[in-house]
Amino acid sequence: MSTSTSTGTPPGTARPPAPVFSVDGLWKVFGPKAGRVPADPELTALSPAELRARTGCTAAVRDVSFDVRKGEVFVVMGLSGSGKSTLVRCLTRLIEPTAGTIAIDGEDVRAMDKSRLRELRRHRAAMVFQHFGLLPHRTVLDNVAYGLEVQGMGRAERRERAAEVVAKVGLEGLEHRRPGQLSGGQRQRVGLARALAVDPEVLLFDEPFSALDPLIRRDMQEEVVRLHREEGRTMVFITHDLQEALKLGDRIALMRDGRVVQLGTPEEIVGSPADDYVRAFVRDVPREQVVTVRTAMRPASSADEAGAGPALRPEATVTEAIEAVARAGSAARVMSDGRCLGVVDAEALLSVVAGTADTAGPVEGSRAAGAARVDDGASPPRAKPGAGEAPAERREPTNPALATTEEPV
Amino acid sequence: MATITAPAQKAAPPGILTNRAARKLLTLAVAAAILVPLAVSQWGGTTWPSALTVDVSGPLGTASDWIIDNRDSHPLFLYFFGHVSNAVVISVHAVYLALLAVGWAGVTAVGALVAWRVAGVRLALGTAVAFLVCGLLGMWVPTMQTLALMVVAVVASVVVGALLGLAAGLSDRMDRVLRPVLDTMQVLPAFAYLLPVVLVFGIGVPAAVLATVVYAAPPMARLTALGLRGADKEVLEAVESLGTTARQRLLTARVPLARKDLLLGLNQTIMMALSMAVIASVIGAGGLGDRVYQALASVDVGAALAAGIPIVLLAVVLDRVTGAAGERLGDAQASPATWAYALVAAVAVALAGRFAGLLEWPEAWEAEIAGPVNRAVDWMTAHLYSGVPVIGGTADWAGHFTTWVLDPLRDGLQWLPWWSVLLVVAALAWLIGTWRTALTAVLAMAAIGVLGVWNPSLDTLSQVLAAVAVTLVIGFAVGVAAARSDRFERWLRPVLDVFQTMPQFVYLIPVVALFGVGRAPAVAAAVVYALPAVVRITTQGLRQVDPAALESARSLGATSGQQLRQVQLPLARPALLLAVNQGVVLVLAVVIIGGLVGGGALGYQVVFGLAQGDLAAGLVAGAAIVCLGLMLDRVTQPTERRTTKGA
Repeated sequence: MSTSTSTGTPPGTARPPAPVFSVDGLWKVFGPKAGRVPADPELTALSPAELRARTGCTAAVRDVSFDVRKGEVFVVMGLSGSGKSTLVRCLTRLIEPTAGTIAIDGEDVRAMDKSRLRELRRHRAAMVFQHFGLLPHRTVLDNVAYGLEVQGMGRAERRERAAEVVAKVGLEGLEHRRPGQLSGGQRQRVGLARALAVDPEVLLFDEPFSALDPLIRRDMQEEVVRLHREEGRTMVFITHDLQEALKLGDRIALMRDGRVVQLGTPEEIVGSPADDYVRAFVRDVPREQVVTVRTAMRPASSADEAGAGPALRPEATVTEAIEAVARAGSAARVMSDGRCLGVVDAEALLSVVAGTADTAGPVEGSRAAGAARVDDGASPPRAKPGAGEAPAERREPTNPALATTEEPV
Repeated sequence: MATITAPAQKAAPPGILTNRAARKLLTLAVAAAILVPLAVSQWGGTTWPSALTVDVSGPLGTASDWIIDNRDSHPLFLYFFGHVSNAVVISVHAVYLALLAVGWAGVTAVGALVAWRVAGVRLALGTAVAFLVCGLLGMWVPTMQTLALMVVAVVASVVVGALLGLAAGLSDRMDRVLRPVLDTMQVLPAFAYLLPVVLVFGIGVPAAVLATVVYAAPPMARLTALGLRGADKEVLEAVESLGTTARQRLLTARVPLARKDLLLGLNQTIMMALSMAVIASVIGAGGLGDRVYQALASVDVGAALAAGIPIVLLAVVLDRVTGAAGERLGDAQASPATWAYALVAAVAVALAGRFAGLLEWPEAWEAEIAGPVNRAVDWMTAHLYSGVPVIGGTADWAGHFTTWVLDPLRDGLQWLPWWSVLLVVAALAWLIGTWRTALTAVLAMAAIGVLGVWNPSLDTLSQVLAAVAVTLVIGFAVGVAAARSDRFERWLRPVLDVFQTMPQFVYLIPVVALFGVGRAPAVAAAVVYALPAVVRITTQGLRQVDPAALESARSLGATSGQQLRQVQLPLARPALLLAVNQGVVLVLAVVIIGGLVGGGALGYQVVFGLAQGDLAAGLVAGAAIVCLGLMLDRVTQPTERRTTKGA
């Protein structure tokens, strides 16, 4: 695992920013006497079914560790029952974790008393819910202002602030409707606005778009991309939809049965699946839309090659490179800070598309064209300094669970 | 018990043992084969063995004498019940005086304006007309007496109910404690509540108000708890994620989210309070109920009708206005300004009425209906009662029903050995519910025997069974018809609405007019009272059958009769069982009240106990009514199994 994720990724240039959330060895076990499970090595080694049979407990989150860096979109993805929704609720202790540590900006969340925890929920982390969680008896404006009202802000001031946020998410003119009179997409915009109104440090999304129609879902995803580009707010995004994860995530933690089975950039997940489970998961993703030229490039063979040809950012996808190479009729250079890192030629790009490139994991099988939409909307935030596909090797220490438990098969 | 069948089942499950019902019956038969010979050898005979009765009338009489002697001296009465009693009397009197001071014009105007604001123009007109009719019938003063008692009782019920509901809604432990109590209170006949309060407070307004509160508070408590618990989990989570305090969550989310349930609770509490306020005339409530009671006692149908019509109008208006308030919740709320205008207008009308001397309803405007109605009843008695060619007369019907149905049923029940009655109760309750419900039912039935009122209770039971049978036959037939014909249902719905809102007491008036007094009229009143609920539940159950299942049956070429028999009725089974349960509970309530019109048995013993001041006898009958209600509810209660399955 450790070798596969870092293969072909050159040392990063960005300085590691301090993590917003730092989660270490987190457990959430439901059931009688849940506390004994994480403490007992014999029990932690059991499979979920065995654990249930032995103790009557269900471990929703099992020994999960990760850091969420400032300004990034951190996606937790997994199928239903993988523990991802429980995980995000543990972050603000909407669900009380069983074991492990959670720190926000270095402050221990599990040690917080009631008022400190309220403070955290009021000002530092706001959440957007799958089924919106709006108050049906309040207007859109009052729903958006609710978080401010809870903080004790005066009526006129909070309404003014709420009106700004309502405009920001594109709900002008609907301020005095009630949630029951809105469409699903509009309701989720209200939910988003309510979270934004309190100006939180982190936005937590719990499968926010799963209940929406596909077209509206895409609109909302683009809305999130836009907000992130404009404000650079840290986001933790839960989803069961791989396309959504690849589109939005700077980094993705893939969960199965409560464990993180792989944590990495979309490119790493698609290019170097950690095990068969992940491989089966990403099989149908068109890799040219995810793999970057940084991975696909080869060192320049001559000074001549390094001096001519169209220039590309290292974060550009293979799809973009194909276009540039096709236009120029020659190999393209990968440029960073005026320095040529390497070149990509038609042959290298073709081998990525064909799935024969050596950088990629053994991806086989059919390729559903157009199944993945990792369009340029997602690229700019990824290119932001510090939030980019930050060096992969730094990832390992933050994720011991991964390194110890998952072996590529 | 279960262990007896377990080995047999393991060896080789014969067909009969795989059937759940058969297995239960077999277990019961084995238990009976052991217990019955023992019991019979010890205490034979058909009626409950006197060796097993406990005479409680002695101690009860002593207790009631003690209370009567100490009512004015004991500290408990001086410092607690005395204050409660005084507070009730003072507040009822204050409301009554206020209503009189506002005058009929003012009361009508205020009522109409409130109805207009919360429920729209049509109901405002309806309210005004209802109040004017009360005046026209010469019932203004009794109407205001009933209204004053109701206002105090409803306010107290809502406060008590909401507090209990809040406790049960917020604390799981409270909920576990309160729920069975409230559930049971809801199935008990109103009459059962009268005697205990009379024992403490004596006959009078305080007893009437408190009986009403005890009867009317449970729905408010239940629905408050239900509303608080039923709130959308994700909304509550979202609210919590914003950092709310527990108080903020309660006030800004949980209570507003429960508004619909709270208003439904208010609606039910008002309807139950009205029903009880009328029945409580038996223990000195006064007002409209008292007029009906007095008129029925002298079989003066005209006078009873003149007091009964205002009761019905009051019920319909109160139900529609509070119901509409619940339905209009989602709409834009009226601004405080319009309320202010409405208030000013009402005050102006009241003042105008006062200066125009319209405080008391002018006697010249009263319409005397008692005379004409009584003449009509006399004509009916003369022409329809008896001897009508071919079809016979109403009194003949009642007589035949008594001779051919009620008497054999009663005699049959009383002829059955006491242990076989227990066995039948156990078998029925276990087949429909669980062994828990069966045990409760058997214990309740046994308690009746222990109290020494076995025979009168079986008399009441025979009336209940006859009424339930008639109700179910008619109810299911009408329900099926309504489920199959949209036009019939549209026509039926408003009729059911009105019938369901009427207080139990009112049903006695027409049956006395038609059938005279006796057991048959009591049964008839019970049937009429229980029928709307049974019809409604049946129709709803049949209509809510999964349309996909019905469509697939149709696509296979099933005739409509086959669809009904093979798809709709089996799928609507839970609804039909609920209809039976409701039918039994409602029938019992009215059969007991039927004691006022010659129904005899337990109801009569309660009335007799009240009338003679023999509280001990009345209390025993009241306890038997509670046991009978408990037994009948448990025997027909299919809900228990469903909840255990879901958990």
